[in-house]
This record gives sequence, structure tokens and C-alpha cells, in this order.
Amino acid sequence: MGKILGIDLGTTNSAMAVMEGGEPRILENAEGNRTTPSVVAVSKTGERLTGVLAKRQSITNPKNTVFSVKRLIGRKFSDQEVQRDKNWMPYEILEGEHGGVQVRMGDPSTDPSAVSLGTNRSGQARSHTPEEISAFILAKLKSDAEAKLGEKIEEAVITVPAYFDDSQRQATKNAGEIAGLKVRRILNEPTAAALAYGLNKHKNEQIVVYDFGGGTFDISVLEVGDDVVEVKATGGDTHLGGDDFDKKIIEFLVDEYRKQEGVDISKDPLALQRLKEAAERAKHELSVAVDTEINLPYITSDSTGPKHFLMKMTRAKLESLVKEYIEHSIELTRETVTAPAPKGAGFDLKEIDEVILVGGQTRMPAIQEAVKNLFGKEPHKGINPDEVVAVGAAVQAGILQGDVKDILLLDVTPLTLAIETLGGVATPMIPKNTTVPTSKTQVFSTAADNQTSVEVHVLQGERPMAADNRTLARFMLEGIPPSPRGVPQVEVVFDIDANGILSVTAKDKASGKSQSVRIEASTSLSKEEIEKLKKEAAEHASEDASRRELAETRNQAEQTIYLAEKAVKDAGDKIGEDVRSAVSAKIEALKKVKDEGGLEEVKSALAELSAEIQKIGQTMYNKKDDAGNPESADHPKPD
Amino acid sequence: MDEDKKEGTDAANDAPPEEISEIEKCRKERDEYLAGWQRARADFLNYKKEEMQRLAEIAKYQTEDMVKEFIGVLDNFDLALAALSESKKAPTSGEAGAGVPTPKAVGTEKGIYMIRAQMEDALRKRGLTRIPVGPGDKFDPALQEAISEEESDEPPGTVAEEMKAGYKLFDKVIRPARVKISKGPSENTQNTNNK
Repeated sequence: MGKILGIDLGTTNSAMAVMEGGEPRILENAEGNRTTPSVVAVSKTGERLTGVLAKRQSITNPKNTVFSVKRLIGRKFSDQEVQRDKNWMPYEILEGEHGGVQVRMGDPSTDPSAVSLGTNRSGQARSHTPEEISAFILAKLKSDAEAKLGEKIEEAVITVPAYFDDSQRQATKNAGEIAGLKVRRILNEPTAAALAYGLNKHKNEQIVVYDFGGGTFDISVLEVGDDVVEVKATGGDTHLGGDDFDKKIIEFLVDEYRKQEGVDISKDPLALQRLKEAAERAKHELSVAVDTEINLPYITSDSTGPKHFLMKMTRAKLESLVKEYIEHSIELTRETVTAPAPKGAGFDLKEIDEVILVGGQTRMPAIQEAVKNLFGKEPHKGINPDEVVAVGAAVQAGILQGDVKDILLLDVTPLTLAIETLGGVATPMIPKNTTVPTSKTQVFSTAADNQTSVEVHVLQGERPMAADNRTLARFMLEGIPPSPRGVPQVEVVFDIDANGILSVTAKDKASGKSQSVRIEASTSLSKEEIEKLKKEAAEHASEDASRRELAETRNQAEQTIYLAEKAVKDAGDKIGEDVRSAVSAKIEALKKVKDEGGLEEVKSALAELSAEIQKIGQTMYNKKDDAGNPESADHPKPD
Repeated sequence: MDEDKKEGTDAANDAPPEEISEIEKCRKERDEYLAGWQRARADFLNYKKEEMQRLAEIAKYQTEDMVKEFIGVLDNFDLALAALSESKKAPTSGEAGAGVPTPKAVGTEKGIYMIRAQMEDALRKRGLTRIPVGPGDKFDPALQEAISEEESDEPPGTVAEEMKAGYKLFDKVIRPARVKISKGPSENTQNTNNK
């Protein structure tokens, strides 16, 4: 069976995703982009264009470029919305059969150059239903997905706003069928977002989806019951979006420039185009930085010469420009959640369990903050807000095609599993969030000469020091043949099966002796316990890091002392008493501070000893040079 | 051997029906699990292959964002050079030899031109190429974006003028060339030509 394509058929942009290896994946279109403009056109030469190609010729061909057709699909010509949109849309909207809507596109009578060129091809001069226009977009997505995946796509899940009525849903389904897709499900956009975050598994929860897109603002209140997601209320503003933010910024910039330079750049199309791009970039940058610079050299010129545009913009300024829009969206949200039915869901704001952010504009920190303040909880925003609906559509597709079977839902390790090593350090073996079953092998050695046993201390937790983590098991591996430190090879294997049972085995490679332990409860912590442990780890991150550095420095000190003592012993009488006693003094000094001293103390004693040891080698080489010049390779000793 | 086999079969046949159904169930489960395991294994191998391709693709286009920012700088160099050559044309009032650029101005212009070339060259080494476009070319929305329409001597529907250079990073158009589209010659010109 082929894959089912998940499609977010948006007002401004569309996106698509499929399930792959049990995970949703956004598919790029033929142009290499993750979203496709929902625009269709018939070019002046009679070619039909879809997506970004249609958009690129829209300015010079506005009458034959259809965008935002989602605002018309499944509606009656007499609908208030259609009548309102008709006034500002540059393409022609007509009354079709049975009071429906039709749009005119590619009609040569509206394009004198086409007539003069005699390109009145068949199929050009006609009106299209919004379904047909949407079908062109869907067909492009379908063929781009097929090219990307190398397989035929015959079925799809398509999303629609929660407020779409039966007629709009049916029309969207028809669009899919016209495009050659069997529409397996028409899915609500907010439900798709909830699916993307896996919230459909939460029972009896109230979810609010705050969707601030490029051109529309939708708010939905969902209730998750037994495997059913019910839409309790919808609201929003179909003519409020991120584009309004851009317009506000441009207006502000034009105004400021007029004040500063006395030049009105709004009349210059090229300057305006550059300003528009700069405004969009500034908006994006201010989501991550607190200020940005708008730098447009040679924006225009007058009698005095070229003029430049250089202005700093702060996040606070941007927020003050669009404050009214954000407040309006929050007011609409409050109303949709709290107003009694049928206007709203009739919930208390406190009753809302989860909040999801959808739409590119929700990247703005001020919006995230406003939503968080309204509900008193952190909204979900981990998945790219431009893609979350398509991701959810793919998840639904996966459920339909049977990818997301419970039996195949593999668990992950909630916390890191580690082993204690020299100096009380917790050395991770299996990091948190590793999918099980899994296994990890690492070879360890001894810390002291002639050590015949090692202790295996199995730990769970995120802290870098063993003592701060939870002990899962402790056992000894005995019978290691006596040898210098670092020589024995003890292989430690951590293995977790699909049921979360951890087996730890330690084996001495030389003697073949092994010891193991089985821990049943390695993943059985409660959600609260896991969160508590993770929180602790985050809180102690910096102090833990310094403790770990101290432990590692001490380990290094130990190792250096060992090396120094060995070097002195090996050198024997090749070094003078002065060097020997100097090194010994430094060894003693380091020994004194290594266990009790602070990090800086140990570090400096360690550095001093390291410097001193080098003198051993130096002395030996010097001696060798003095005595052994004739033996050097350049001058072979005559027999 | 044959006897053994026969005995085995008989034994299975003799088994009580519930045991047979149990065996059947186990066989079915075994087949299902084996198939699931094989599928998972194959999925993983395929995933690995695709991931390698994807990584290669990511590595190829990892500089895209940075290159895009530098394209903006190239644009501004173009504007600076255009402004410089414009200022050379303008007569400097009151000076002897008005309109003739000083050697200093020529040197400055050449210097800026060389810096621009240096930067474009550095970007070219990272896969950037300029999309060629000129007046009279057929408008191609795959490579160009129309920003306005005006009367010109070029045939209607073709490119009248390139306003901003377009660029490709390897095979991907990272910015289409911004062009003015020709409406054809103005009626006045046409009439004059016809006469």
C-alpha cells in the first residue's frame, strides 16, 4: 500500500508531510521549499503556473493570478464574506451555478497582449470553481511528493479550519478528488496540531489552539474524550495576520524616514520592495534578538546625491507598533474560551489543560508571553509552527495506514543510565531519550596497580557526579589478574530490552570472569519523579560542572603523580639528586592538595609538577648528548 | 527417517484440537512478528540510505542562509557602483573640465569594483552563480520575478530590464532575478515607427 500524504491546504501557503519510519517528515516541493504558496495563475503566454512560480508573476498579471481561494471554497456567491473579499481581490469573482462562486483566470479577453499574440488556446478562456483552483495546488503537491518519494501517491488527509461547514468540507474533498487523490479524511487544523503534539492520547483534556498565520487568525477550543477530539468552539478574525504586522513596520519606517530625510519613499516601488523585505527580516530577527539594524544603502537619491536608510529597531518598538493586534487576538481568545455556547466554549480559563501555538507569527516572544499570561501555563511550541498542521495530517495518515500501531510504539529511556568512574564521576552509558531496546558496550580499566576487583555502580540521572544520581545497582567483579593500573580491560555492557529491563554485565577480558545484574525498574519512574530529576539537574548545572571539573582535575593529578613517581624510579641514577628531590617535593605538594584542596590549588600544583617532570627528560637527554655524540646516527661508530 | 516423519505427523494429528489451534496461533504470531521485524530492519536500512542523501544535501546547502545575506551586500555594491558612475556623469559646476572624472574618483570606483568582484568570487567558490538575464529574454517565472510592467522597445511579455540580480546556489534558485516586464513600445513610438 502506498503512503498517504498529509496536506495542510492553507490560505496563503500549503505544506505536506508523510510518515516515514514511524515519524512524520515534511516533504520539500520541486523548488526545494518546505511550504508552497497557495497561488495559481495562467501566465500571459497561456501557461498554467502553480506555487511560487505563479506568485513571481502576480504583480504584472494580477487579473489572472488567483490566491486566497480558500476564502471562497464551498461558499455561496451571496455570502457576506465573498461579497467583502470580492472588493479587494484583484481577480474576477463571478456567480456560478446554483449560486456558487467562480473565479476567472486566463481569460484572453482580459489580456490584450494575449489576443494580439493570438494565444487563445483551448481551455484558457474560462471560469474555474474554487475547487478546481485548489485542485491545481493539490495536484502540484501530489506530483512533487511523488517525485521526492519515488512512489505513487493516491491517498491524502487534507486539513481545513475547524469552522468550515459541510459544504466547505465537501468542496475541499472534491478538490482532492479532482487532483486525483482519494481523500481518506478531512481533518480539522487544530486537531491536526493536537495530533502532532500527541495530545490525542490525553484523556478528558481541554485544549486551546492559537493559530496566528500570515493572513488569518483562528482560535479553537478542543476537548479530547475517548479517542475522539471534539471541537467545542471556534473564533478568530479571518482578516488578521502576520502580514498586518509587516504593514505596520513598513508604515513606521516610511514615516521615520520622512521625518529624518524629508523624502517619501513609499512612492518608489523599488525602494518599497527593499523596505518590505527588510521589514520582514527585522520582524524575524526581533523574535530572537532584542534589537536589529535596518541597513539599506542607496535607498533613493535626490539633487544632493544618494540617500541611505539606516535605522535601529528594538523589540520594544515592534511590540508597541503591533500591540493592538496582539491585544485583539487575546481578547478574541478569551471570548472564544469563556463565552457561553454557542458563541464560546463556556470554560473557565483555568480549565484549559494544554495550549498549542500554530502559525509563523507565534514565533514572536510578545505573543508567546501574552498567551502564557492568559492561561497561566507554558504553551506547546516545539514543532515548527508553519509545519505543525501538516505534521499532524501526516500523523493522522499514519494512523489510517496502520503505521502508528501500539505494538510498535517503542519506549524511550526517561533518564540517563551511567556508571561511576574514578573520582565519583557519573560516566553516561545510555543517554536519556534513547529508544529501547538498545545496548551499549564500553571498556574500562583499573585505577590502581594490582587492583584485583572493580566495583560496578549503576546510576540513573542527569547529574555529572555519581553521588547526586540514583543508585540502581552495585556489584563487584573479582578475580582480575594483578597488573599495573590501566592495563586490565573490563568490558561493561548495558542492555535494555523492549520492556525496559536493564541488564548490566561486567567481564574481565583476560580471565573471562564476568558478573551481571538485572534491574527491572529502570524505566518505571513516575512522570513527576522524572521531571523532578531533570529539574534538579538543570538547577545544579553550573555547580555540577565545576564539581566535575574538580573531580577530573583530581583524576589527572593522580595520574600525573603516578607517572612522575614511575619516571623518577625508571630514571634511576641517570638524574641528579637535585632533580630527584625537586620532583619529589612537587609530588608531595600535589599529594597534599589533591584530595582536599580547591580547583585552583590542585591545578597550580599539577602544573608545577608537570613542569618539574619535564626536567627529568631534559637532564637525561643532555647527559646523553654530552656522552653520546659519537654514537649519534649521523656519525656511525667505526668498528 | 521416514518413519520418524510419519510419527511426527501422526502425533500432530493426534493432538487435541485446542493444542492445534494454539500452535496455529503461535505460527501466525511468529510470521507476523518476523514480518514486522524484517520490515523494521528494511525501514531502518532505507532510512539510513535516505539520511545519508539528506545529509549530503544539507551539507551542500548549509551555507544558504549566509550566502543569501551576502547577496544583499553584493546588491549594495551594485548600487554604490551605479551611483558612482551616475555622479561622474553629473557636471561639477564651476570647476574647469566639468564632467571629467578625477583620477581619484576613477581609482575609488575601480577599488570598489574589485572588492565586489572579490566577494562574488568567494561566493562562487561556494556554489553561487548569477542567473543570466537580459532585455528581450522570454519571461521565465522559474528564474525571474516580475516586479513591474512598463513600455519598452522589447516585445510585450519579455524582460524589459533587470532590476536586481538573481542567484542560484548549485541547482536551487535562492533568489529569482527581479525584472521589469515589457508592455511593448508606447503608442507614440509605434505610430512614429509606422510612419
